[in-house]
Amino acid sequence: MTVAIVGSGIAGFTAYQSLRRELEPEEIVVLGPDDDPASTFRRHAAAIHQREMRSESDGHCLAASFPGLSFRSAVRRRSPGPLLGTLVDRYHPTLDEFLDHVEGLRDRSGWDRSLRRTRVARVRAVEDGFELDGHGAFRHVLLAPGHPGLNVPGGLRDDPRVVHSYEPHEYESTVTVVGAGLAAATEWLNALAAGAEVVSVRRREPVRRPLNVPREYLSRRGLAGFHRLGREERAAKLRMLLAPSYPPGRRFDEPLATATMEDRFRVEESVNGSRQVICATGFRRGFRHDPLLARLVDEHGLETVDDWIVLDPDGSVPALTDDSRTLALAGVSAQWAFPAADTLTGAKYVAHAFLRRCRTR
Amino acid sequence: MSYTLRGRIESRIAAVLPVLAAACALAAAEHRWWPVEAAGLMLGIGLALDVQVYHPLLRYQPAWATLPLGALELGLLLAAMRAAGVAAPLGQALLLFAGAWLVAQLLGHAGFPLLRLSYAEDGGELGRLGAAVAVSAGIVLAGAGATAYALRPPVVHLAAGVHQGPLVITRREVLVGEPGAVVRGGIVVRARGVTIRNVSVVGGENGITIDGYRGTVLDRVSVSGSKLDGIHVRLAGVVIKNCTVDMLGNPLGQGIDISYNMNMGMSMVEGCTITGGMEGITTHSSMTQVTDNHVSRTTMRGISVTEMSMGMVMDNEVRDAHGIGIWCNDRSMCSIEHNTVVGTAGVGVLASFQSEAALRGNQLTTNTVPFQATVNSEVATTH
Repeated sequence: MTVAIVGSGIAGFTAYQSLRRELEPEEIVVLGPDDDPASTFRRHAAAIHQREMRSESDGHCLAASFPGLSFRSAVRRRSPGPLLGTLVDRYHPTLDEFLDHVEGLRDRSGWDRSLRRTRVARVRAVEDGFELDGHGAFRHVLLAPGHPGLNVPGGLRDDPRVVHSYEPHEYESTVTVVGAGLAAATEWLNALAAGAEVVSVRRREPVRRPLNVPREYLSRRGLAGFHRLGREERAAKLRMLLAPSYPPGRRFDEPLATATMEDRFRVEESVNGSRQVICATGFRRGFRHDPLLARLVDEHGLETVDDWIVLDPDGSVPALTDDSRTLALAGVSAQWAFPAADTLTGAKYVAHAFLRRCRTR
Repeated sequence: MSYTLRGRIESRIAAVLPVLAAACALAAAEHRWWPVEAAGLMLGIGLALDVQVYHPLLRYQPAWATLPLGALELGLLLAAMRAAGVAAPLGQALLLFAGAWLVAQLLGHAGFPLLRLSYAEDGGELGRLGAAVAVSAGIVLAGAGATAYALRPPVVHLAAGVHQGPLVITRREVLVGEPGAVVRGGIVVRARGVTIRNVSVVGGENGITIDGYRGTVLDRVSVSGSKLDGIHVRLAGVVIKNCTVDMLGNPLGQGIDISYNMNMGMSMVEGCTITGGMEGITTHSSMTQVTDNHVSRTTMRGISVTEMSMGMVMDNEVRDAHGIGIWCNDRSMCSIEHNTVVGTAGVGVLASFQSEAALRGNQLTTNTVPFQATVNSEVATTH
């Protein structure tokens, strides 16, 4: 056995699908606490009543971008609608479509045969590989530990009115939503639809763009320049690219305009006296919040910049990767290599490169 | 998709490779080079646009953009083919382009991503495959160019002065007349792919006879004093450009007669001046495009499209025909556009015997009867 994935969430699952192009389930070990790869995602999506994906036709877990979800949907519905939507970048799979896709893929791909339900707390470099917390040594290891917990701003942690947007909740009559990303925008609409009066508290005006980052940063076109940046410039660029954003369009604009006219929606600088405070502030940022990654960095003296572990452009850890072994990061912890690493496209980006390394070394 | 420059170029070349192969096969089957020339131009235009326009302007190219960009490339291709003198049948050229576009879409959206998992994130780059296809395309084009060069027909120069005919051409060649070269007694073409350029023909039963051979090009030929037809084409595909046919003194002859070549594809008469004779240009059971010609002083008809012909008659000037200016006859289908017919003693445009003529933008008012339809025929006019 030479290949292991640490993490059984969506990023690990997506990487697994790429590896399965060339490896049998028995040749891959997945170490993670959940057998359902979508369990965390499903819980978060349910909490904010998410109905459709921000991603487009390529937002799936399969190794190749074709056939994407729009093509499959068009075949299933016997309608060209999804394909026409893709033509103008307006196709977004529904949440149910995506979850069905994950479920089907889980059954077909042999995921459960590869999975060992366990939590890995330590990765240690050994000769020609990595020892995974008593589960054996592997030559090629992909770490996909996921987001390190929900982020609640310091001043609000002890406030009894506070709930995080990704935790189950209903809506009070007056609601303050903290944040400026897609989760915040979704919560504005949810709370307004529930009849609440909504106050948006945010540090900056939200960026409006279709995907998490400008599209050129999903391919080598934008990434080549990004990878050429020096450490400080790259960190600054990452902070800029990762600023909260949500898609442009009437879906958000019209209800907010109407609510503003009715005096049910306004922007304020700080949390006021609302009965409920929803923190749509995403996840805690930085490797230090993840015990596995923090220990990996400390024990191996890995290079870091601010919140990020320094990676090669393909997502591998340079100090621990050579011709005989590979340690790569996937998911949010791979942002140093791929700014949108916590998306499905990002998971595939790292997985494809990881597969190349497994194949050639 | 956000292409890198290299990705655009590699994807472009890889997508055109099957089209080049198809073009080579088509060229071999038809013994004509236009498919390869068109595919080469297609590639050249695409690469130029990639480098000069698409890459600087399109940091992200949405899928819908392939439609207007495809239309742009088609327009440029047709213009380039015209400028380069690539004589391709329009329908087949459009079909080739449409096929190439479709292949490119299928490969770009399905084939390449399946072949190379990281195709999208690599910005369309194909890795080692990209270099291989570039070399392959280069080899195919160089091979086609070398073959075309090796197969060029011999050029025969006809010296100035009078040469006694009839001159019979029995092999594929380009006959080029020096200034003042005259053939007395007519020219007979008895081979495929003959080009005759800058030659004057005087006398003969027909001035130039082409019977049963494809691919003849008559360019800047001058014919006078023939007994029957000036240029006589039977069962043959022909392109006649910039000719002069003088039929004055022969009230029963025909300037250009192209007949019974419906199965030979489109023939063309363009930029010719025909004076006198019974008919200026006549086609029987033929698909011929008649454009930009000057026909005058014929004893019966200026231009005839007859016997189940399909013809496009455009931008011609017909003067002083004694009978009919433009005649669409005997179950023919004629598209008659932007012609000027003046001084006709009879009818400007006549459709007769179950024919259909579509008229558009013609100047017919100075004729006794501008246009007419008889015997179950139809004239449809639009402006």
